[in-house]
Amino acid sequence: MTATEDLDLILKTMANTIVANTDYFCELDQVVGDGDFGYSLRSGFEVVQAELETFDHSNVGALLKKVGFVISSKVGGSSGPIWGTAFLRAAKEAGERIDISHEEVIAILRAAVTGIMDRGGASLGEKTLLDALVPAIDALETGLAQPGAAADHGTAAIQAAADAAVTAAEATKPMLAMRGRAAYTGERSIGSVDAGATAVGVILQSISGAWREAHA
Amino acid sequence: MKKFVNDPRQFVPEMLEGIYLASGGALKYEPKYNLIYRADAPNPNKVSIIQGSGSGHEPAHTMIVGKGMLDAACPGDVFAGPPVEFVYETTKLLNSPKGVLHIVNNYTGDRLAFEQGREMCEADDIKVETLLVNDDVAVKDSTWTVGRRGVAGNFFVIKAVGAAAEKGASLEELVRIGNDVIANVRTLGIALSSCTPPVKGSPLFEIADDEMEVGIGIHGEPGRQRTKIVSANEIVDLFLNAVVPDLPFKSGDEVALMINGLGGTTIGELYLLYGIAHKKLESQGIKVFRSYVNEYCTSLEMAGASLTLLKVNNEIKGLLNEPAEVSIRVF
Repeated sequence: MTATEDLDLILKTMANTIVANTDYFCELDQVVGDGDFGYSLRSGFEVVQAELETFDHSNVGALLKKVGFVISSKVGGSSGPIWGTAFLRAAKEAGERIDISHEEVIAILRAAVTGIMDRGGASLGEKTLLDALVPAIDALETGLAQPGAAADHGTAAIQAAADAAVTAAEATKPMLAMRGRAAYTGERSIGSVDAGATAVGVILQSISGAWREAHA
Repeated sequence: MKKFVNDPRQFVPEMLEGIYLASGGALKYEPKYNLIYRADAPNPNKVSIIQGSGSGHEPAHTMIVGKGMLDAACPGDVFAGPPVEFVYETTKLLNSPKGVLHIVNNYTGDRLAFEQGREMCEADDIKVETLLVNDDVAVKDSTWTVGRRGVAGNFFVIKAVGAAAEKGASLEELVRIGNDVIANVRTLGIALSSCTPPVKGSPLFEIADDEMEVGIGIHGEPGRQRTKIVSANEIVDLFLNAVVPDLPFKSGDEVALMINGLGGTTIGELYLLYGIAHKKLESQGIKVFRSYVNEYCTSLEMAGASLTLLKVNNEIKGLLNEPAEVSIRVF
């Protein structure tokens, strides 16, 4: 599979997972938010799901950029600008590449993280999606540096990243929310997982499953 | 959940259609962007004034679109800021040679959408300025939140810049006037009950029958403290002890006094609170120039009220006295 075919698979899986988990993501957001996180994300990713085939697949940057535009345009609340900026920064880093090395994958993901931090002003440990995303990228980087990574098409590394995200999302439970609407709840935010971090874990587990199947 | 609703996800579009149809042609509706705008906008001789915000705060902001107030409102879903696309397309549609003014309540989602939307508009050579409203004294400023929230004081910002824009003020003048109002307006809210966003289907938070939340945000965010409910006299003391020293408002000042209902409190109770607040302020030497008692910025069906004080000078007094025509509120 080419890099754009791999990216297409990832985006399709991501969109399907978000649409399928709409209610679950809303439930996560009901604890300290207003329970619309699932619907917000869905309003962008259902467009990706329906129209992905028609997006420009000529290179990795073009495809990521189109997704970034759709997400930032369609998703309301703070999720649209934050998730949209992540895709747009990843697109910029990827450029017109059609093939991507393991190192470049990590650089693209790190650019997305920087975009999220710039747009939302958050850093690690403030009970946001970053608390699952960053450990996942760290695990992916370690996994891809292993000797067997090329032979299994990164399957083990991606599974390790997904597992790291799930563990890290669970670890947001005792954290104090410092960003967005949950921050106003102060102490009351302690004791429940962060909705965004948990969603990252769910999405990465789906991607890992789809990846294993496609590269078996 | 016990509400007049069909599909909860269609709550906002169906409400907006009602506003449009009730306006008798004074307003237009663009369902693609949840956009309600004046039928006579954009006017090339007037700055266009747009507020986004979430829904669920009605009459703010879709129901205060009209002459002397907003030119357009493009809300997101209940309690969620609009997507960037709404901000961008609304601004393009309302673009005037005199420029476009965005009024944004200070929340993460609203700020992100309007910042990104403004960047996209400026890339299209549209002149845009932004006013950030942050009148809620319940939130302490700190380095890691976006700061104080914008609540009912937003009405005074809209009224002042809306009146000035009608008289042909430039975008720069509107920014100066708006920031002058923002610098002089303070609010505190108290909730007696929770509220239920249609999509969530259950109350946003739990509160016992004998409790109240002091410093409530307009999306049910908690405030300073949860206490047992006290008498109306003591509640007005809580309001004034939080709001008056914050600016501070001093003896000899003239103010506009607003008692705003949060959606589920009777107008009778609001006037009861008003009377007590009016007397207490006058006893402190603070003169009430103009009164506002009604629902201006609500949280769905939440029982509760907020008190807003705006210190007025001659310019702001003149602007508050200007007429405004909001089509759906004609008697």
